[in-house]
Amino acid sequence: MKAVGARLPRYDGVGHVTGQTTYVDDFRVHGMLWAKALRSPVHHAAITKLDTSRAEAVPGVHAVVTHTDVPQLEYGHLSGLGIPADEPLLAKDEVRYMGQPIALVAAEDLEAATAGVAAIEIEYEERPTLWDVREAFDSDAAVVHRWGNWYPHFEDEMDRRQIRKGDIQKAFEDADHIIQGVYRPAAIEHVPMETQVSMVVPESDGRLTIHSCTQAMYFSLGVISAHLQVPLNKLKIVGGTVGGGFGGKVDTASETITALAAMKAGRPVKWRWTREEEFLASSTRAPWHMEIIDAVTSDGWILGRKMLTLHDSGAYARFSPYGLTKHSFHHTGAYTIPHLHFDGYVVFTNRVPTTAMRGFGVTSVSFAVETHMSRIVDELGLDPYEFRLKNANRIHDTSPNRISYTDPSTVDVLQSIAGATGHDLAPAYAAATREPREGEWLPDHLVDQISTEGH
Amino acid sequence: MAEATEVLTPDSPEAAAAAFGEGGDVTIIGGGTIMVPLVTHGVVQPNKALILADAGLEGVDQSGTTVTIGAMTSVSALSELDAPLGPCAANLGDSEVRDQATVGGNLCAVAPPEHPTGDLQGAFVALGASVRSTGAGGERIEPVADFLADRDNRLVLDVTYEQPQAGAFESLDRPHTHHPTPLAVSGARLADGSIQLAATGAAPTAVRLPSAEAEASDPDAAGTAALGDVRLVDDAVSSAWYRERILPVLVRRVLEQLG
Amino acid sequence: MNITVNGDELEVRSPGLTSLLRVLRDELDVVGPKAGCEAGGCGACTVLVDGAPRRSCLTAVAAIDGAEVTTVEGLGAADDLSPVQQAFVHYYAAQCGFCTPGMVVAATHYLDSGGSDDRKEIQEALRGHVCRCTGYVKIIEAVAAARGGNFDLTTTAEGGYTTVMTGDAK
Repeated sequence: MKAVGARLPRYDGVGHVTGQTTYVDDFRVHGMLWAKALRSPVHHAAITKLDTSRAEAVPGVHAVVTHTDVPQLEYGHLSGLGIPADEPLLAKDEVRYMGQPIALVAAEDLEAATAGVAAIEIEYEERPTLWDVREAFDSDAAVVHRWGNWYPHFEDEMDRRQIRKGDIQKAFEDADHIIQGVYRPAAIEHVPMETQVSMVVPESDGRLTIHSCTQAMYFSLGVISAHLQVPLNKLKIVGGTVGGGFGGKVDTASETITALAAMKAGRPVKWRWTREEEFLASSTRAPWHMEIIDAVTSDGWILGRKMLTLHDSGAYARFSPYGLTKHSFHHTGAYTIPHLHFDGYVVFTNRVPTTAMRGFGVTSVSFAVETHMSRIVDELGLDPYEFRLKNANRIHDTSPNRISYTDPSTVDVLQSIAGATGHDLAPAYAAATREPREGEWLPDHLVDQISTEGH
Repeated sequence: MAEATEVLTPDSPEAAAAAFGEGGDVTIIGGGTIMVPLVTHGVVQPNKALILADAGLEGVDQSGTTVTIGAMTSVSALSELDAPLGPCAANLGDSEVRDQATVGGNLCAVAPPEHPTGDLQGAFVALGASVRSTGAGGERIEPVADFLADRDNRLVLDVTYEQPQAGAFESLDRPHTHHPTPLAVSGARLADGSIQLAATGAAPTAVRLPSAEAEASDPDAAGTAALGDVRLVDDAVSSAWYRERILPVLVRRVLEQLG
Repeated sequence: MNITVNGDELEVRSPGLTSLLRVLRDELDVVGPKAGCEAGGCGACTVLVDGAPRRSCLTAVAAIDGAEVTTVEGLGAADDLSPVQQAFVHYYAAQCGFCTPGMVVAATHYLDSGGSDDRKEIQEALRGHVCRCTGYVKIIEAVAAARGGNFDLTTTAEGGYTTVMTGDAK
């Protein structure tokens, strides 16, 4: 255990400060082509014409790939979890967000690749767009997805992530106060310093060497293998040096399409997104719409919570059903609420597809829950620490999805913050612990939710 | 990249003017901060480019009360000058961009309507500066506001102004150094005692604020009046709504400093 | 055209309007400077041109014909780190490392021209440089430490360290 408590230098620190760390864009191989994408200039449209023959004739162009070149056009990032595929690798007969890739041109240099993109003949028939998740359910809303405007494939083909726990009706009947809030955090772009980039080298033995900035090499391996119908033992991914990701490099953004172009050209191909493309077409943290209604007693117990979440998934599902599931499990935050009624929808819009970012689905609900806790404190004139300590998770409390907590740290964290900020706690709150509820910490309404099973 | 571009690197102001000729087909590279990325990304594909790095157009000349600034003078070389120009220059970009960006480039900054830019322009307008430029019809000397209204195919040679009695500059903080200032107000009490005000970020190029100047003795009234002189827009760095609320504040502060 | 890069005089064949960044990376294979935005907005491509920090993506190579260019590779090697490089390692100022080449070049110039360990002055000097990992705190600490010579790569067994910054906004 020499490492614990020691101050260890970063293994890659010296490489970073001397410019010797090799990022994907720093690799150079003989005969490498540069790639440029044709991306949708519109938010939602049918593609009525796509002809690449002129592009293929542009001097210096070696390969143009479109949907017709992809062995398996649709493959879902979460197929392994039973979430069906909905997103084509390259757009086929429609585009659903501005910046969606339609074709990739590989050429001797970027200028030739850009000229090739300009020579692709394409026509669009624009369609109505949907931007506000609250309008997705209106009968006259634009339809943006073949599944409808919200994801319909949760377990048992439910169209929402639903949690029911305890007796929500009784909680609201017993409440002294009903406190509501609506919380709407915006989309956030990760802005890694290194934009999306990959380089794929077709080797003489038939394998592909894939240099990628991905955060998730094994994810990428499966996605590439499925789309291209190439067995895993023909794919070698070189990764591990990521110029910032923050969740935005979990999606397999570029390497599959680059590999397709490299296979068609029979030459190494590098595809590096410009910063403009990164802003336009790389996935973002989702915008969320969250409505919370709490049943609260005058002395500061939360008896029940009703919550509605609309998760803006953008144009395709990607990881959103999983993100919403995590979100639902955490919709009581670090607190124990016995009676719950949660409905969450993954809503499709014409935004760029959204993805993981630092907490994935949990960050949004934590923001909403803590803001709502403060709202309750303000409206009822409670002590912000004592209100939170009262409802804080304890050992053997159960989560919304009925996981029994074994070691929750909420009480300790709150006491530490109170100490650090000079907030005097009343003796009972200063003496509170994470140990299982008893006595004054175990009012009647919490007795049934305690469990030692299910973890 | 840009194989076909003819690149000229004149080594004197005369050679620069001769190489520029009547302009038209010539792309000017001053410091490069605006044009080089546009060329890199293929937005601009010049047939002929004029690189002014060695053209001898830089320098600040202060003789008596007249200040003359060469077109290739870096923005950082202005930062020690009196207000409004000095603090306006010091507020632009970051130290590396200020070292590289030039006065001429700033006066020629291409500004699509949705993206006000050209941070120095307001200070020059407030100072009543004049621009000397060359191009079709030969050399031209004109007030900076006139130049901003008709600057296509001109090569800026220098900018001249009379040292004011007093000057002031107030700005919103930039969210990021790479952005233009969302909103800034420059003011000067000129040698004849008159007050001139100008804003950047309030229209595609810098604008005089004549209605505010007319109320200069009452800074609060002047601030409100200034709203009549501008065309505020939403863009990536600020909403028009926010600019509408801040402009009167900046005008008031500038007038209070001018006394 | 010729430029001297980290002491080596090299011929440049790229067209004159090519950015110095692309000349360095794509023609001369000097890949320390990074293409973070190629629009002057991030600072990852900053190099020294005749001793002054310049965004190489904003610099047309024909405008610096004959110049001396120093990139992060020219400031020190793995077995001979400069003070700024040592401090960046020791204070964990490099995480993903993509902004580091520009940061190290700019910080070196700041200290070489007499910059102090004052937090606000360091912030102003590095203002054009974007980092998405560190929140800047550790970078500023590293630059301040390099000013005072307060770094030691061999320290591995002690937890914690003393911040050496001055200024009021710690």
